[in-house]
Amino acid sequence: MSDRAIRTEQLTKRYGDVVALDHLDLEVTPGEVVGFLGPNGAGKTTTIRLLLGLSRPTEGRAEIFGLDCQKQPAQVHRRLAYVAGEADLWPSLTGEETLSLLGRVSGRVDEHYRDDLLNRFDLDPTKKVRAYSRGNRQKVILIAALMVRPDLLVLDEPTSGLDPLMEQAFRACIGEARDRGQTVFLSSHIMSEVEALCDRVGILRNGALVEMGTLAEMRHLSALTVEARFDGAVPDLSNVPGVSDVLIDGQNLQCQVRGSVEPLVSALAASRVTGLLSREPSLEELFLAQYGEGEHGR
Amino acid sequence: MAADPAVLVRDNEPTLTRRSPITVVASRSARAAGRSGALWGFIFGIAIASSAVSYTQIYKTPASRAALAAAYGSNNAMSALFGPAPQLQTVAGFTVFKISMTLMILGAVWGLLTSTRLLRGEEDRGRWDLLVAGQTTRRRATFQAIVGLGAGAVVLWAGAALLTVATGQSDKVQFGVASALFFTLAMVATAVMFLAIGAVTSQLAATRRQAASLAAVVLGISYALRLVADAGVGLHGLIWVSPLGWVEELRPFTAPQPLALVPIGACTVILAGTAVHLAGRRDVGSSVMADRTQAESHLGLLGGPTMAAIRLMRSTVIGWWMAIAIAALLYGFIAKSAGTTVAGSVHEVLTKLGATGNGTQAVLGVCFLMLAVLTGFVAGGQVTAVRAEESGGTLVHFLVRPISRWSWLGGRYLVALSVLVVAGLVAGTLTWLGAAVQHSGLSLPTLLGAGVNLVPPSMVILGVGILAFGVRPRSVTWVVYGLLGWSILVVIVGGIGAVSHWVLDTSVFHQMASAPAVPPHWGANAVMAGIGITTALFGAWAFRYRDLQGE
Repeated sequence: MSDRAIRTEQLTKRYGDVVALDHLDLEVTPGEVVGFLGPNGAGKTTTIRLLLGLSRPTEGRAEIFGLDCQKQPAQVHRRLAYVAGEADLWPSLTGEETLSLLGRVSGRVDEHYRDDLLNRFDLDPTKKVRAYSRGNRQKVILIAALMVRPDLLVLDEPTSGLDPLMEQAFRACIGEARDRGQTVFLSSHIMSEVEALCDRVGILRNGALVEMGTLAEMRHLSALTVEARFDGAVPDLSNVPGVSDVLIDGQNLQCQVRGSVEPLVSALAASRVTGLLSREPSLEELFLAQYGEGEHGR
Repeated sequence: MAADPAVLVRDNEPTLTRRSPITVVASRSARAAGRSGALWGFIFGIAIASSAVSYTQIYKTPASRAALAAAYGSNNAMSALFGPAPQLQTVAGFTVFKISMTLMILGAVWGLLTSTRLLRGEEDRGRWDLLVAGQTTRRRATFQAIVGLGAGAVVLWAGAALLTVATGQSDKVQFGVASALFFTLAMVATAVMFLAIGAVTSQLAATRRQAASLAAVVLGISYALRLVADAGVGLHGLIWVSPLGWVEELRPFTAPQPLALVPIGACTVILAGTAVHLAGRRDVGSSVMADRTQAESHLGLLGGPTMAAIRLMRSTVIGWWMAIAIAALLYGFIAKSAGTTVAGSVHEVLTKLGATGNGTQAVLGVCFLMLAVLTGFVAGGQVTAVRAEESGGTLVHFLVRPISRWSWLGGRYLVALSVLVVAGLVAGTLTWLGAAVQHSGLSLPTLLGAGVNLVPPSMVILGVGILAFGVRPRSVTWVVYGLLGWSILVVIVGGIGAVSHWVLDTSVFHQMASAPAVPPHWGANAVMAGIGITTALFGAWAFRYRDLQGE
């Protein structure tokens, strides 16, 4: 049995001259919750489609639990469940009929858990799909994926259209999945969601994985924010190594620090500091630092 | 991104376009309808031209033309099938008789499919919301869409008229320009009316499929009324309650009656106005007819993709089977009458139309050709339904579960094949029933054989469609209906015998024996079935190795 839930080697997808995914090397350990970030067109959905065998790679290969995604798709799919960002379903079926169909096709359903999910996501299964709102259709495919208790959940913008309460329910379900040892691969634009749920985060840029690691490992991507209040003159920090973006507002100072904080601490020690606050960068700040403000994906 | 020349950019001002928001929906609808209108206009034109030219090549002498007119001119059963046949001694009269009913029905099918696709279909996909959210209202947007559909019908008419006028310039054909324009106008009239009928059913029904089915029911009733009206049973007045009858009463070429344009025009305007009115009275996404949003769940036929396909398509498929059953019953019912009143040269004529044998069997040979065309449309519908699963995004739900592409497509193919086989059996059985009532003396096995004989040509259409699905999925509709249209065209022309066998061989219907006029050619059928299965296998193989593709 493979020791990796997901493994890609030099996975590449080109559409004509456009490189959608560029030699992606990725490993996800069983039981991990991994976030996948990137702007529109960065290659997140392309990666997922290649993992699911819906698209063919131009180069490289992908494995899920040691099974080749292209050569053994049916075996791969026995181990996973997928949630797309767009819930295209059969309009004439009811929610219950849809869940029944998808459950039978999956080959296994935890019926008790399905009923629990219907309750938690507050979904009326007697309605026809064409009468559902977008958010309710999204709930159907979320429940359909979660109710089979797969070894791997592949989620592509899974909370599109969900309200904040349902977003909380989703997070609780993913937390439970992690506790049960299920692996989760989550592509999302919602930084707080990824920050709250994921053990590791990968950032994709122009089809290439530019960062991969835990949040702690990625802190170097962005500066530490330091705020200080002084009783007296605000010190001149312009020549302190690593300090930038200094903002002074009366007795208050805010600055950014990269690298070691020791030079800043030394500089502040000479002044009368009455308050000091430091804050590590959020995932959103890390993401923006990676992309730079104003830069957009292809 | 290249700059759009239609976009004006000024500093510190919003980006504006020169396109008037008033015409956005109309131009969008016109583009879509115009593209298919151009294709079908070409097919209409070629069909008309080839009929006319073929007649001049086959019936060269006044004597042969007089014999033809004598044989068909007073045959009520043949009139019921093809419409009245006055002036068969002229090129124009023969052309009307030979081609008009086919074109009227094809035009109606084009109209209802195009209209429901661009109105209810756009709503189904959520695109109508975006359009109506612009600087327009529900009524204005619907009005614009109908104007666009009308533009598509104009393109259809222009294509057909151009080729017909050009053909008419031939010394042997000699269609007057005005007559040719009026004839093609008549041929497009059903398309125009069914565009309007489709516009209304798009307001009434909750889904595109329902809207198209409703409009198809109207077409079926209209055809049945016209058939009875022309059957010589004293009910000719029924012609005035059938849209197809109004078009027939235009009597192009033979005795033009432009007054019949009044009910056609009035019907179109009233229906279009009704559609616009209804669009304003309902919410976007809802329907005038109550749509049940809640229902008791029935978990049968949901065991897998194949079972689900049967469940989801059953109403459409049953509708097709019923249409084939009704047509077959009527054909069987009138065949004896048609066969016993024809004699002498008519056998020769029927032979040239694609059937041989005694009178009744020869007529049924031609009828089964029509049923083969209907079955061909069933095959085309099956392939486009397969593609719709992919483009609509529902196929993904199966393929990310332990269902291989091979098993999914194999299941769909078997369902489609079963639908075709049942269609053939229904055709044979109901024709026998109709014929038995008239004591035609044709046995059930003979007519069941003729029904099964319909299946191989449709298997070719199915197979070629699956091949297109595997190789170039976005081309499926064009390939399938292109092959079908081409095959109809060739068989119309080729039945008269003026075309090279190389061209004739490209028509799937040309390869079909005219059973029951002649025994089915089981060898040729086996070859066609083999071609159908082989192309489908290639398509399935190609599908395994390609990316899934949306619209």
